[in-house]
Amino acid sequence: MADKSKLGFEFPTGYLRVEKNKIAEFAAALSQKDSTNDVKRIYRDEDTARSEGYINIPIPPTFPTGFAFWTAGGLFGIIDKVGADVTKLLHSEEEYEYFAPICAGDMLTAKMKVADMYERGRKERKGRYFEITVLETEVFNEKNELVLRARTTFVER
Amino acid sequence: MNVCYDNIQTGDMMPPYTSLPITRTHLVRYAGASGDFNPLHHDESFAKAIGLETVISHGMFIMGIAGEAITAWIDNKCLRKFSVHFMGMTQPADLDDFENTKGRATITVTGKVVEKFEENGEKRIRCDIIAQDALGSRKLSGYFIAALP
Repeated sequence: MADKSKLGFEFPTGYLRVEKNKIAEFAAALSQKDSTNDVKRIYRDEDTARSEGYINIPIPPTFPTGFAFWTAGGLFGIIDKVGADVTKLLHSEEEYEYFAPICAGDMLTAKMKVADMYERGRKERKGRYFEITVLETEVFNEKNELVLRARTTFVER
Repeated sequence: MNVCYDNIQTGDMMPPYTSLPITRTHLVRYAGASGDFNPLHHDESFAKAIGLETVISHGMFIMGIAGEAITAWIDNKCLRKFSVHFMGMTQPADLDDFENTKGRATITVTGKVVEKFEENGEKRIRCDIIAQDALGSRKLSGYFIAALP
């Protein structure tokens, strides 16, 4: 069960460089390609990306899902911190707000916190009671501009 | 892409996008690419231990497929918001029974423009989206907001 004393908990700041090959790997996974050579050109070729108005290869919209896994101790590092139980965990909602493009080469700073914790349903009704945790992550670029806000909601059933 | 605000009307459909049938190999590739190594998505013994028949897809893989659908139509840099609610689990196709199981693992993403508006000095659309399998079972619903030229 989620530990409510963690409401407001701020994870250590994460730092990461957006890597070109990681973008191509992620794009290959989403487009179900065996080779990163087969992803859309915009995800593997700088010139194509620039000709389409980016400063470098852009990320796919859901690429930021990895930021927390790569910087906050992996899935188990995160769920241990919030006191959740992996055997009961389900991801229920995900939301991204994009304020500026994120591209290969960007050096990002990610600040994640436990933004909300609440229950839904009544405890005595088995299968109808859920504990909900919302993680909010704000991502800043090298100029300290907010480029992305992510909200991840998961439930323990 | 040449999607521009003046050519889009409320009620217009986003071009539908259909995935390949998702296999366990696709899930493993997604796990590696995203860093989400919840064993629920690759380890049959874990899935069974928590009462599921088999492994299930990452919800974020399905959202990522929805992102593919969106960015096949709208440039990445036009996206302002992308929000989904997960509705159902997705089991991968079984390779020893592919014909009978591919439908549950094939995701089609559809979308419909529901609003045109101006915000922050930009011309924006809101488009509702749904992802469902070939049997009609819904996986996620949500929406995106894009600023269009």
